[in-house]
Formats: sequence, structure tokens, C-alpha cells
Amino acid sequence: MGGTFVVTLREGFEAALILGIVYTYLQKIGAGRHYGYATRGGALGVLASVLLGLVVTALSGPLLDFGPDAIALGVIFLAVVVLTWHGYWMQQHARAVKGEVQRRIDEAQATHRLWIIGLIAFTGVFREGAETVLFLWGLLTQATSTSGFASALGAFLGLVAAAALGWAIFRGGQHISLQRFFALTSALLLLLAAGMFSTGIGRLEALGFLPQSSTAWDTSFILDDQGMVGSFLNGLIGYRARPSFIEVAAYVLYLAVAGSLMFRGNVSKPRPTTPEGKVPAHAT
Amino acid sequence: MRRAFTITIVGLVAGLVAVAGRASAADPRPEIALTIDKDQFQPAEVKVKANTPFTLVVTNKNAKAAEFESKDLRVEKVVPAGKTVNVLIRALKPGTYAFFDDFNKAATGKIVAE
Repeated sequence: MGGTFVVTLREGFEAALILGIVYTYLQKIGAGRHYGYATRGGALGVLASVLLGLVVTALSGPLLDFGPDAIALGVIFLAVVVLTWHGYWMQQHARAVKGEVQRRIDEAQATHRLWIIGLIAFTGVFREGAETVLFLWGLLTQATSTSGFASALGAFLGLVAAAALGWAIFRGGQHISLQRFFALTSALLLLLAAGMFSTGIGRLEALGFLPQSSTAWDTSFILDDQGMVGSFLNGLIGYRARPSFIEVAAYVLYLAVAGSLMFRGNVSKPRPTTPEGKVPAHAT
Repeated sequence: MRRAFTITIVGLVAGLVAVAGRASAADPRPEIALTIDKDQFQPAEVKVKANTPFTLVVTNKNAKAAEFESKDLRVEKVVPAGKTVNVLIRALKPGTYAFFDDFNKAATGKIVAE
């Protein structure tokens, strides 16, 4: 039971984290009535996961060999793109909302970006979704025995715990100031996206589309990325116990490029789209 | 900004198409059978020639899905119940590479390249 609990908690953690942030974000910018974008994105993610789970079970041959890999890569890189885009945008607005009064972002301006929120929710759920569906499915077929039932229950509780974590993030997010939330989540999403980018590049390397590089370091004896703490760090900031040089390079390169893209804004002049055309103070 | 992202996305799509193209045009390479049965991989130790790419033909005999995973090889591949999946493995330097079933940690094994 404990084993399956950890698996689903781990698979659900990233989705819960992203959904928690996304809902808090909507609430923070005063777009609480647009939760639907996040909900629809998440629901579509679940739907797509179930569909992919069904399709994978029905597939065979080359489609089964390469289809899931291609989709996984597509989702990873799509997630990296939308997270980067959103992080950049959020950083721009962290400057606009800095001040004594927590000014709500001009809603019209926020609204035309809401589909990005939906897309983030979608990729967040879909990324590990199909895997989780197949895992749960397998457990349910064996839930008739006592041990099988305990395993299925453990898996279910793992998902509940992940959801609770997401909820806790949402609740906790209410109590921190807007610009701190923006700064915190910009940084967090940046690390999250860096981890994803590195994972995607690692997959390409494993598939032979990138030259093979050797292992950069091995810290599995200190913190294995299979363990509880290690796998959370893996989901959160892309921690790897045995990354390849290419994966490390991808991580660092992403951080450098996306980081400078996001935080460079702090010293440049404000964008003309800043509400009311006021020169906003700098955020960190 | 917008243009940069468009370029990025176009680049990624092109990359994926290239990936699919190359994958389907893969050269014939040695195939090595690996079976997941109950809580075990058979064989639990796979011997391969170093520096030669090969294909692991993984068959899942269980009634539930498995996920062939290896941190050392950076491979993660779902194998649905009763299915067979080809896992392309790059040329390996001599050494030992551990793998396991991510859905059932009791099942582990290793590849020994020499």
C-alpha cells in the first residue's frame, strides 16, 4: 500500500503544484471568476490522459514504440514554452504591481492571457497523467484481492494527498503579498521549467538524437531521486542524482537564457502596455 | 518576444518531426528480449556488447501495466499489460546500468555492457 501511495503522490505532485500556483495566480490578479480557464485546462488534461492511456493500451508495434515518446517530448517542451512565456509575463507585471497598494492588474489585459493559464494547467496534468492512468488501471484490475485492494487504496490516497498539497499551496498563497507571490512563483516556475527542459533533452539524448555524454556526477548515495525527498526535489527543481553532462548543460543554459529574459526586465524601461503608463518601481 | 516564441515552437515541431523520421528509419540492430513476469525481470541481468546500440524488446506478461525505467539510461517507457515494447538503447560504454519497473519497485535488473 505504501509503495503505490508514493507513486501516485509523486506523479500527482507536479500537477498539484502547478494547479495550486495557477489558481492562486488567478485569485491574486483579481481574476477569480476566471478559474474556469484553469479548471478546463486541468479537466482537459485528465481527459487527454485517460484517452492516451486507452490508446496506448490498444496500440502495438512501432506506434507503441515511438508514439508515447513523441507525445511525452511534445508535452515536455510545450510545458517549457508556456511556463517560460508566463514567467516572463508575470515578471513584467510584478513590476507593475509593486507599490503600497496591491493594485489589481488590468483585467482586460490579464484576460487575453488566460488561455496560457489553461494551457499551463493542461500540460501540468497531462505530463504525468497517462502514466498515472495506466498505473491506477492496473491496480484496479487487481483490487479484488485484499492486498490488491490495499494497493489501489494507497494509490488513491496518494492522489488525495497530492490534491491536498495543491490546496495547501492555494490556501497559503492567499496570505502572501502579490509581489512576493509573483517573485516566488517566477523563480519556482523557472526552476521547474529548467528541470523539464533538462529532462526533455535527456530523453532526446537517450533516444540517440543527441550525442551521448557521460554522467556528470553521482549523488545517489546522498540523495537518491527515487526516494521521497529526492523525487520531490526532482519534481520541483529537476534534481537528478545521476545527470549526464548534456542534461546539466541544458539546465544551466535554460536558467541563463530564460533567467536573463525574465529578470533583464528589471533594468530596462517599462513596456508601453503598463497600466496607466506609470513608471513602475522595480521588483526583485 | 512573440516572434522568438514562434521561432522556438516551430523549431521544436521541426525537431519532433525529425525525431519521428529518424526513429522510423532506425538501422537494424541487435534485439534482446526482456520479460516482466510477476515481480521479476527475465533475465535480471542482460549482457550486451559495449559501444553497440541495441533494442530491448520488453514484454509485460503481467495483467497490469509496467513502466520500464532506468535512471542510468534515462529511459522511461510504459509497457501496457500483455504488450511488447521496443526500447531503443544507445551505444553503452562498458559498465553496469540498473533498471526497474517504476510501477512495481520489487522488479529490478541491470544491463551489463562489456
